[in-house]
Amino acid sequence: MADARTRRVKKEIQDIQNDRQAGLTIELVNDSIFHLIGSFPGPPGTCYEGGKFDVDIVVPETYPFVALKMKFLSKVYHPNISSASGAICLDILKDNWSPILTLKSTLISLQSLLCTPEPNDPQDAEVAKHYLTSKSSFEETARYWTETYARPQTNEGRGAPSGTSKTSHLPTVRDEVAMAGLERAHVEQFEALGFERGRVIEVLKRINYRGANVPKISEDTVVEELLK
Amino acid sequence: MSDESDYYMDDSASDNYYDDDDDEMVDGTQDSDRESSPASEGEASDDDAFGVELSAAALGKVKRKSYEVNFETLSDAAVDRLMNKEAEHVAGIFGLEPSTALLLLRHMAWNKERLIEKYMDNPEAVRKDAGILAAPPLAPTSSSSSAGVRRSARRANSVQPSAPPSTPFMCPVCCDDEPPNTYALACGHAFCSTCWETYLHTKVREEGEFTVRCMDSDCKLLADDAFIARVCSKEDSKRHHELVSRNFVGNSSQYKFCPLPGCSYTISCPSAASKSSLMTIVPTVKCPENHVFCFGCSLDQDHRPLICHVSKLWLKKCQDDSETANWIKSNTKECTKCQSTIEKNGGCNHMTCKKCKNEFCWVCMGPWAEHGNAWYTCNRYEEREGVEARDAQSKSRASLERYLQYYNRWANHEQSARLSLDLYSKTEKKMEEMQTTSNLTWIEVQFARKAVDEVFKCRMTLKWTYAMAFYLAKGNEKELFEDNQRDLEKAVEDLSELLESPIDPDNIPVLRQKMTDKTVYVLKRNEILLDDTAQGYLDGRWKWNADAAILNEAE
Repeated sequence: MADARTRRVKKEIQDIQNDRQAGLTIELVNDSIFHLIGSFPGPPGTCYEGGKFDVDIVVPETYPFVALKMKFLSKVYHPNISSASGAICLDILKDNWSPILTLKSTLISLQSLLCTPEPNDPQDAEVAKHYLTSKSSFEETARYWTETYARPQTNEGRGAPSGTSKTSHLPTVRDEVAMAGLERAHVEQFEALGFERGRVIEVLKRINYRGANVPKISEDTVVEELLK
Repeated sequence: MSDESDYYMDDSASDNYYDDDDDEMVDGTQDSDRESSPASEGEASDDDAFGVELSAAALGKVKRKSYEVNFETLSDAAVDRLMNKEAEHVAGIFGLEPSTALLLLRHMAWNKERLIEKYMDNPEAVRKDAGILAAPPLAPTSSSSSAGVRRSARRANSVQPSAPPSTPFMCPVCCDDEPPNTYALACGHAFCSTCWETYLHTKVREEGEFTVRCMDSDCKLLADDAFIARVCSKEDSKRHHELVSRNFVGNSSQYKFCPLPGCSYTISCPSAASKSSLMTIVPTVKCPENHVFCFGCSLDQDHRPLICHVSKLWLKKCQDDSETANWIKSNTKECTKCQSTIEKNGGCNHMTCKKCKNEFCWVCMGPWAEHGNAWYTCNRYEEREGVEARDAQSKSRASLERYLQYYNRWANHEQSARLSLDLYSKTEKKMEEMQTTSNLTWIEVQFARKAVDEVFKCRMTLKWTYAMAFYLAKGNEKELFEDNQRDLEKAVEDLSELLESPIDPDNIPVLRQKMTDKTVYVLKRNEILLDDTAQGYLDGRWKWNADAAILNEAE
């Protein structure tokens, strides 16, 4: 079976390399065809447009009878992708895997996952809450993350902090606040009460102090949370 | 079969033994009440012991006892038959193939009513959901349905795949373009046989999955059992069958597998199928391999007389607390002021509580200030403050003590029961010895074995009575319960002692008489206790204390 797996993975890699139109790329890690890094462009017309998203791919021993193991290397702001670890919540990577799915079709599925978030079955609950409270604010943040972490020309889009150097022209305050999908005025409001900015961002993010939620959460509640 | 399980003093042996007074037996039986039986303790007369035994046997034959449940053992084949019967029933209603009905039932987790309702409503939707070919077999041309025909037609085709011969076939999974053999389900998606085999193997062995769909990602068609049996190896096919029947049994509340590893029997116990019934009965069952377990909670022992819910509470408590509680009890004291638990791990008796800064003497527990100049020694045990402090401490310890008192007895009986298994081998030796030193036959020395059996059983009951007593609310009912418990405990200890005593060859007939009497008495006491508790559940007599308060509301 082992050579069938090799044969198949080789063919799949070739398929991706032959098809320039889809814009997918695939690279080997440590010269092994069973550990790969794939990438795809952010789908046009979405807040991920213009980004290049890198995905870590491990081909398991019993492939193609069990699903590929995939996670995002680029940080993505998306309800079904963990903003911390890049873990992906997608049915075909779990129960609905089928042996005829390939590297290519799976990468394309990930691409379409970016177009169609499923906030009711979230991987990242905080992001999902943000999405459900205010879609426009969510999209703004996702776009900001795309610009910061998934810039196509830099290979170093992966991993978080390297992005900051590219965006150094922006004031750092705007940076952190935008990253968390919060309003600058809100953060400053509580900062003025003597709380540290990092703490304010953390708390406001957790209690989802955004859009329609803002009038519902009293200042006292926020202060209480801040003091905890 | 449940009847015989409780009678070790069975007919053959007792008839044999009491041969001479057959007539009396029939008459003197009805005084089997609780009050009369203690009389047979110790030097019981023949008649007494006899009456008790006979009434027990007679009762056992006539009807099942209040603390027992009716159950039935099913072999693998019987489970298959039940499964097929269900499928045939559904197949009959809708005019389907039984194999299709099986797939539908599995899809609906064996809820036949729901399946029938839904299928009546919209057969196409149900079929689609379940992954069964959309077109129902409307015009069967032969005895087998058209689906079957189509499928076999595909099979015939499967050596040459459905793709036109001009296009060279390549298995979409392994990319082999010259596979020796291919298979396809009725949907026509062909894959090479090796891939099918590996796929089924992964599903069945690694994922423990018995619903296997076509390998195509957009095709939801299910592989039926015949296909699976055809394609995969014998072991995998067997495993698949196992998974299927496990699913059937698992989805039905009136069947349960014997929980012992490697045992394949299924028990059917309709009377314990509902959750509410478990509040009043303890459905102890036994499979043909003599594995005793509880049908309600699958605990691998007889936890009568305590119902499943409470025994679970108890086991959990024991697991969480016992070791810790024992350690706390023997190594710590509480601060006299704030009740923090303190371990003294060295140093003098002058204690300063870390939490409340209270200073006290470890020995007398009194305030340290009163020790005056008698630093680091304490001879002030009777001083008022010291006594009060110790009182307060003992109160805070009371609940711990209470738990440990029950736990230790519980654990003690468990250990004794385990030791009585050793006793089997010892008894075996004794029995041989008796056969050689007296003119008794093998069947006549069985009484010793029966005594050990009975001791083991009663110790299990006793063990659980302590768990039960821990949770019972104070009151008359609990006292009565504890009376029964005490009587049984005393009887069991007596019999245990007798079993351990050495054999005097001259005295064997006396020993035999004594042991038989006591065995019968113990058996009777056990029955009384179990019967009384079972009746108590039915009457709603047992009230639980604060530790199991949820159950009072649930009732």
